[in-house]
Formats: sequence, C-alpha cells, structure tokens
Amino acid sequence: MLKFISLGLSLFLFLSFPHPLQSSEVFPYNYKIEELENGLKVVSVPLPNPNIISYYTIVRSGSRNEVEPGKSGFAHFFEHIMFKGTKKVPRAAYDDFLTRLGAGTNGFTTDDFTCYFTIFAGRENLETVVETESDRFINLYYDEEMLKTEAPVIEGEYYASVSNPGRKLEEILRDTAFTAHSYKHTTLGYLKDILDMPNQFEYSQLYKKRFYAPDNSILLVVGDFDHNQLMEYVRKYYSSWEKSNYTLVTPTEPPQKEAKRVHSPWPSRTLPRLAIGFHGPAFSDENIDKPALDLLAKIAFSPSSTLYQKLVLKEQKCLTLDASFDDARDPSLLTFTSIIKKDEDLPYVEEEIFKELDRLKTEPVSAEPLAEVKSNLKYSLAEELGTTDGVAGILAFYLNLTADPGTLNKLFGLYEKVTPEDIQAVARKYFDKSSSTVATLSEGKTQ
Amino acid sequence: MSKTMNRWLLGILFTWIVFMSMACQKENPNKLTSEFLPLEGNPLVQFKILVKVGSSNDPTGKEGLTQLTFSMLANGGTKAMTYEDITKAFYPLAASVSVRVDKEMSVFSGTIHRDNLEKYYAIFKEMLLNPGFREDDFNRLKTNLLDFLGKTIINNMDEQFGKEILSLMLYEGHPYHQIPAGSVETVSGITLEDVKAFYKEQMVQGNITVGLAGGYPADFPAKVTADFSALPQSFTPQLSLPAQSLPQGLQFIIADKQTPATAISMGFPVTINRSSKDFFALWIAGSHFGEHRQHVSLLFQKIREQRGQNYGDYAYIEHFIQGRDKFPSTNYCRQQQYFSIWIRPLANSNRHFVIREALLELKRLVDEGISKERFEMVRTYLLNYTKLYAQTLNERLGWQMDSHYYGYRDFLAEVQAQLPKITREDVNRAIKKYLNFENVYIAVITQDGESLKKALVENTTSPITYANPNMPNAVLDEDKIIESYPLQVKPENVRVIPAAEFFKKAGLPR
Repeated sequence: MLKFISLGLSLFLFLSFPHPLQSSEVFPYNYKIEELENGLKVVSVPLPNPNIISYYTIVRSGSRNEVEPGKSGFAHFFEHIMFKGTKKVPRAAYDDFLTRLGAGTNGFTTDDFTCYFTIFAGRENLETVVETESDRFINLYYDEEMLKTEAPVIEGEYYASVSNPGRKLEEILRDTAFTAHSYKHTTLGYLKDILDMPNQFEYSQLYKKRFYAPDNSILLVVGDFDHNQLMEYVRKYYSSWEKSNYTLVTPTEPPQKEAKRVHSPWPSRTLPRLAIGFHGPAFSDENIDKPALDLLAKIAFSPSSTLYQKLVLKEQKCLTLDASFDDARDPSLLTFTSIIKKDEDLPYVEEEIFKELDRLKTEPVSAEPLAEVKSNLKYSLAEELGTTDGVAGILAFYLNLTADPGTLNKLFGLYEKVTPEDIQAVARKYFDKSSSTVATLSEGKTQ
Repeated sequence: MSKTMNRWLLGILFTWIVFMSMACQKENPNKLTSEFLPLEGNPLVQFKILVKVGSSNDPTGKEGLTQLTFSMLANGGTKAMTYEDITKAFYPLAASVSVRVDKEMSVFSGTIHRDNLEKYYAIFKEMLLNPGFREDDFNRLKTNLLDFLGKTIINNMDEQFGKEILSLMLYEGHPYHQIPAGSVETVSGITLEDVKAFYKEQMVQGNITVGLAGGYPADFPAKVTADFSALPQSFTPQLSLPAQSLPQGLQFIIADKQTPATAISMGFPVTINRSSKDFFALWIAGSHFGEHRQHVSLLFQKIREQRGQNYGDYAYIEHFIQGRDKFPSTNYCRQQQYFSIWIRPLANSNRHFVIREALLELKRLVDEGISKERFEMVRTYLLNYTKLYAQTLNERLGWQMDSHYYGYRDFLAEVQAQLPKITREDVNRAIKKYLNFENVYIAVITQDGESLKKALVENTTSPITYANPNMPNAVLDEDKIIESYPLQVKPENVRVIPAAEFFKKAGLPR
C-alpha cells in the first residue's frame, strides 16, 4: 500500500533546540523583560515558529486573594466578568473580533493567579490583539444586571463537576487542613458563596480596582513576532492603565498541632478515595526545601517507586497512587492521593503511605532513584516546551510566582543540587503525623 | 558543507527513495502502511501505531475485548519484561505508551525525547510485537475495566455517562452498538485466552499503520517498518455497516439517580462523514450552531451568555472528543457519523426548559438556515481557527493520518481551499438535507426522572426564574415562547431507567 510522506512547510513548523538536553539550561529560549512606568511587566519570547502567537495576560490574583468571608470563588467569578467587554468594544463586538480572528481564547483561575489567553495565527494581527486586549483590561464595563446574569454560570460550572468525587475530596481536605489561609477553599469556592454572587456587584468593583492593575499583572507574548514591534504596541495601548498600589495581606496559617481526619460519604457506588495532606513551604527557586520535597514526592509515589509497584501493580489494592505539591506563593499542601479498589483496604493504604513517609525520615534514598527523578523532570519539561503554546502555558505559571522566566533554570539548578540528605531532612521537617490531615470518601448515606 | 546541511540532504534523499519505491509498489492489503513526518532538528519523536480495529470488531458476547486486549499491550508486560520493569525503565525517560480504542480504530501513542529514542523504541516495539500476556496484568486491567463500568462511569462522570447513553441509543443493533469498554457481563466473561486469540487475529500487518513524526534519524523509519513487518500478512476487512435511519420522533432515555444537576446529550445519525463534498458546508452550520467551547456558538450564546443557565452548550457534526482545551482529537475516524448537542449540567429545575430551548434553536436552524452575516463570519472563523489545530507532534501526525483515512492528502490544507468556495446557499442546503429537529435521541441524567417524563409527555409549561430581576425584555419574551414550545413526546418514547442498570449487559438496559 502507498506510504504517505509529508515534507514541505511542515519541516519548519516546530521548535528546535540543542540536544542532548543540558542539565542546567532546561529553558532554552531567549526572552526579554521590560516594565512600563505603570508597573506592567512584559515578557516576550520570540520563537522561530511561523504564524502562531500566544498572548497571555497574567493577573496575580487567584483564590488566594479571597481573604474576606463570603468571597470564596470570587477570582474565578471575576474571570468570567472580564469577558463582558467595554463601551468601545462591547461583548458582542469582542466576540465578533475573536471570531473573525479565529482565535482560541479563554481564561483560567488558580489558587494564585488568573490567566487570559488568546492564541492566534498571523503576526499582522498582533496590533489589533494588543489594542483589544488592553482595552478590556483598562476599560472593562459591566453593570449589575450583567453580573447577575453571569453569576448562575458559576453555579453551572459547579454542577459540571458535582459528580466528580475527586473534587469533593479536595474540598474537604483543604477545608479541614487550613484554618486561616485562603487556600482553605478551592478555586470554585463554597456553594453558599457561589449562590450569593448575584449580590456582589459592589464588591466586584472593589476587587477590580485592587487587583486588575498593571502593577499586579504580567503580559506574556510567545511566538512569531518582533520584540521591538511588540513593545511599540504595548506602550501605545497599555500606558494609560493606572496603578493600584494595593497590597494584599494573606492570613498566616498557624502551625497544625494535631492530626485531623474528615470523611465524606458518596451517595452511590464509587471506588473509595484517600487524600493525606501535610503543610509544606511556598515556592522558592532559592531555598532547597521545596525542590527537595518535589523530588521526594516523585521518588516515593511515582509509577517506578517501591510503594506504587507494591500497591498498584503487585498487590493491586489501588487504581491510582499519586503525590501533588503545587508551586504556590504561600505555604501550601503536599498531598498524597489514592483511588482504592475496595473500601476495606482504605486503612491499609493509609498505613502504607505513613510507613513510607516514616521510612524516608530514617533511610536516605539511594542515588539511582534520585537521578531518575531528576531525569524524568527534565524530559517531561522538554516535551511540554515543544510548541509555542506549550512554552506560554509553562511560563505563565512561573511568571506568576517570580515574574522571571529564568526561575525555571534556577529551579532545575536546585533540583540538580538536591542530595539524599536534603530529602531526609525535609521528610523529618514536614512529615510529622500531628500536622497531617486525612480525608476519605466512600459510598455511604449523605446527611 | 555543514553537518546540518548534510543531514538535511540525507533526509531528503532518503525520503525521496522511500516515496518512489513505495509509489511504485502495488497496493497489498495484507501489508502494513506507514506515515512519516520528518522534522529535522525537532528534539522529540512521536510514535503512533494505528490499528484499524475497534470496539465494532468485538465478537458478540465479548464486548470490551478490543479495549482489554489493547490495554494489555499498553499497560502490561512483554515476554522479556514485567510491567513493573517497564514502568521503572520508562520513568527516567519521562516515557509512556497510551492506547485509545474507538468504534473502528485504535491508536497506540508515545512521545519521546530524541536522547532516549533507542532505549524507548526497544521497549515500545516489544510491548506491541511481543506482549507477555501475564495473568497478573490481565487480572489488574480486567478489574479496572469492570470498576469503570460498574462504578465510575455511572456515578463519577455524569457528562460522559450522558454521551455514552446517547451512543447506545444511536446504535442499537448496529456494529457500533457498545461503548469500547463493553459491559460488566461481557467483560466478566473474557478470558486471557480470548485476549491472546484476538491479538493474534487482529494485530496483523494489513490492519496497521506505523506513524512517526519529529526529529528521528533518517534511517529510523526503515527500521520501524522492518520490525512491524514481522507481523503476519493479513487484514481484517472494513466493516460493512447498515444504512443508518433517524429515530421515530423524540426518543428519551432518562437515567435516574440522586443528583442536583441534569446532564443532557442529544443527537441523530447523519449520512455523511468528512470525505463528503457536503462536509464543509455542514461544518460551517455546526460551528455556527455550537462550536466547541467558543463564543461563536449560537447555543452557547443563547443558553449560557443570555440566560446564565449552565457552563456551556455545544454541537458537533461528527463524533467529537475534546482534546487539550479546545481542538478536536485525532484518530477517531468512522465510516458513519452523527450530529449531537451537548448541554452541560444545569439545575434540575431548568432541565425541561433547556431541552425545549435546544430543540427550538435546532428547529430554527433547520427552518431558517444561517444568515448572510453569520455565514461570512463563521467561514472566516474556521479558516483562521483551523490553523491552530495541529500544534503538537501528536496533533500533526494525527491530522495527517486522518486526512488519508478520509481520502485527502492534507485535510487542513483542503479546508483552506474548500471553505472559500462554499456559499451560504450550500450551507442552508446541507442543513435541510442532513439535520432535523423532530427525530432526535435524547439522553438525560437526572433525579426524579418520572416527573420529567410526566412533564415531557404532558407538555407542561416550564417557566424559569432568574437571579437578575431586570432581564432584557427580548430574553423574557423569547422565554415565553420556549416555556410552552410544544414537544411531540409519546409516553412509549420515554424510558426512565435507574442509572445503576446501565452497562450491566451489552446495549441498552431491557
């Protein structure tokens, strides 16, 4: 049968960088950072990838900023409001603009930031994108009725995940583990606060004034454009954006003194779930603790780990076993999760996880798994950096943390330095059972 | 001359030789095909092994066999290595093998950094060509599949549940009749011997397309082709599918469970697929009516933007699986397709209204077609938006493979050539020819299904309320029309079935 071979333009469509992969320079692209007088940072990464541009606006405000009672979920709600348009370009005209541009566009909200992205083809469209995007950040216009119509959409988004037990488990884990800090609630927020969003017009104006400002935002542009041309457009269209000068004070989470436990019954048949959380440090590309914990989590819970091989593959007690530790601006939770096959095995899996954490305190990890995890992290990142939008997506997270693309190389430099002793030290420091929170979910009658 | 230039010339020369030799070769359905997308300098290599075998090839009574067999390859050991060994070997490479089974095709995929190509491929090829078929892998993967069917899909993922019920309704008595995962009864009956026999029968050259993209060495395609040519020369004939027919009237299945939110999927067969010349016109209509997760969608504008009733509302003219955030996934090619509407979960109190709203909008689409302004806007939109479809290696290679399945050299290039020629009249003609609003399958996941059935059959008025006391009059006036829009629903066409009854046996619960 005939073989098909594509050549031609496709030869030029992908990013390339030197290989084999260097250990110290995992982010291989040149970038520039400039700052306007109003405080707006602009990070540009021109790439030799014809025709595609990823245009990201990072507002350093997420559910972390929801420090006042009754306001959980507000950062995410405001992300929706940001699509309401301006007097110059009302919503319908904004939609028409994006439609004709054929752009892929959306937003997302995390614990720490809210991100708006527009991916489009054609460098000739860059100026209109800069003009239109700057307009909605500077001149957003919506009235109370528009807000009231949008609020139930959040309720709908809540419903979209209501059948997902993973979301429920995360909700109860956070709510139990944190007492003061706003990481206590998920990005979506508590249902009671979601239901009250139609009444929050005044607060929404205050929220916008505090956080949607150039001194709290970063513009990230990746792809096929000229940096100087970009900056000419940015100065032209963003310079009138006024500073906020607002300083957020997030509550300090007091040390947890006693182990906590919470359970949620699920109203129908489900595989039981377990999550164990410990309070960990904030992201840092200077202190060794967070990178050491990242590596520890992977050594102990990745598919190649002893515990995974035992519980998932050999004994087949678990469907999944995982660890997650988000890079966060404030101290956040290091969480170990598992979907278990039988209810009666929940205590056993919990015990095995604690035993493994205790073992890490007393036995230094050997050099081989440490090297394998470092290798895994490098190659995983290299794959994610394979396209224009991949580069933008990764950078957005790190820019939120440090406003510097160089943080990626710094972080991976720290990974290289982590020793078995560092891992043992952080295991002792952070995995005290009295500071743990265990959350479980299994079939049972709800209240 | 630089080394880079030498590699370039060598690559081009090699490609030309392979192309010419293959072009001169007579088609042999018993031999494998291949798809190569060389990208000099790219640090990654993408593998895709496409197998023209899917859940429709499951023997009757063994539904789920394709899924379980191919899972054994992607998530099980080889003759020489246990799966534990493989996970350990893959981990430092950040490597994996994934598999996805659809109705008529399945695809094994893996991405690897070029540094690790040789190490990865040595295991990858053994996983597919010399699987271990160990009892412990079989027990693990079979249990996982049974848990998915008996617990997870019914209780943990209502939107997917709704789509799968729609699929069961669309294809009763048809080779597409079962979801790839099968059913609890049929998967329970599958033995390891069944799996081995199915592998032997179906993993044959003529069923396989070997795909490679990225920065692989010039001689690598020949090596991979030679390795996979060790499979037996044979092929499974493409399924001969019966003609599809529309449902008679509005046919509902309501899956009843305790839930605060209602998930809805609706649809009916369409008689064309991507290879048809009418596809492009119908595509414009589908995008206008319900482009996936984009503001251009009319349903999104009406249900979410104007009324705030849920998170999103979309429509598709072919089977659609969401890949990444927005763009369609590749390698889901089918001979027969269907039109569908996906209404994302909404408050139970609004379910009747929104079912009416979606069907009324569909009626308006069929009766009135697309306006001149919208036609021009959506056509421009698609011309630009599709330029974003193929960004990753996986997407690039996938679109290339799918292009050839449907008879195009490059489908995305064909989009750029064909859309400018489409007229508004073409679109409206396609809407009339392929879409309808009276004969539709509707799957609803909700609570207290009997009360919804009663309301549907009796055509009870279904007014809704808003948090905003000052909704625009235009919306409220339209609501008056929607809330009493008569649906012709016969009681015998509404089945309320407890959610737990689904997927116990193959097909719809009796």
